[in-house]
Amino acid sequence: MAVATLPHGAAHDEGVDRLYDETRSLRLQGFLLFLISDCVLFSSFIFAYLYMRNSGQGWPPPGISRLDVAFASLNSVVLFGSGATMHYALENWKHNNFGRYAFFMISTIILGAMFLSGQAYEYTNLYFKEHVSWAGSGIFGASFFTLTGMHGFHVSVGVLYLIILFLQSIHGVYTKDKYFGLTAGTLYWHFVDVIWVVLFSIFYLI
Amino acid sequence: MQIDIAVLERVVAIVGGILVAIVSAIALKNDWKTPGMDNQVFKIMLALLCLGAVIATLAGVGVLGNFPAKA
Repeated sequence: MAVATLPHGAAHDEGVDRLYDETRSLRLQGFLLFLISDCVLFSSFIFAYLYMRNSGQGWPPPGISRLDVAFASLNSVVLFGSGATMHYALENWKHNNFGRYAFFMISTIILGAMFLSGQAYEYTNLYFKEHVSWAGSGIFGASFFTLTGMHGFHVSVGVLYLIILFLQSIHGVYTKDKYFGLTAGTLYWHFVDVIWVVLFSIFYLI
Repeated sequence: MQIDIAVLERVVAIVGGILVAIVSAIALKNDWKTPGMDNQVFKIMLALLCLGAVIATLAGVGVLGNFPAKA
C-alpha cells in the first residue's frame, strides 16, 4: 500500500534537515537530563530502602521468607535480553535493514511484556501464598512493592513507547539519517534494564 | 521423570544470561570506536547490561543469592 506524502519543496526539506541537525544534540541533552532525573528518583527510594533495611531487625523480617532467586534470575535475563535486542534493532535501522529491525523491535516488545507478566506472577505469588502485601508487611512489603512497582510502571510505559515508535517507523516518520525517536527509545529501554540490575541485586542477592 | 521447576528456571537463566552477556559484550566491542554523546551513553549502558547478565547467571548458578535455609 502506497503511503500518501505531502508535496515538499526542496527549500522546505533543507530547512527541516537543518532544524533537525541543529536541535538534535539539544534534544539528546534534554532526554539525558530526563533520565538523570529518573535516576535520582530511583536512587532516593533505593537509599531509603537500604537505610531502613540496615537499621532493623534482620532481613527479611521474621515471618517473611526470602524471595525466589531462581525465578527472578530468569525474569531478569528476559529483561536484559530485551536490552540486547533493542540495541540490535537500532543498529539495523542505522544500516537500513528494515526486516531485521522489525524482528528485533517486536522481540523487544514481546520480551518486555514477558518481564511484566513475570512480575505480575511474582506479585500474585507473594500476595496469595506468602501473604506479603504493600501495606501489611512493614518496611519489606512497602519498599519491595514500591520500588519494583515503580520499575514495572517504567517498563509498561517503555513497552507502550516502543509500540508507538515501531508504528511510527512503519509509517515513515523516521529515515536512515533522522531517527532521534528510536535513539531516545533505546536509551530509555537501556535505562530500565540498568535500574533492574540494581533492584535485582539489592532485593534478591544481598 | 519429573523436572523440578526451580531447576528448569535456573538452567534457562544460566543459558540466557551467558547468551545475553556475550551478545552485549560483542555489541560493546563493535560500538567501541563510535563517536557522539549518545554512543558514549550506549557504551556505559551495554557494559552495565553485560554486568547484569553476568550477575543473573551467577544467581542462576547459585554463587550469588544462595542463602542457607533458616532453622
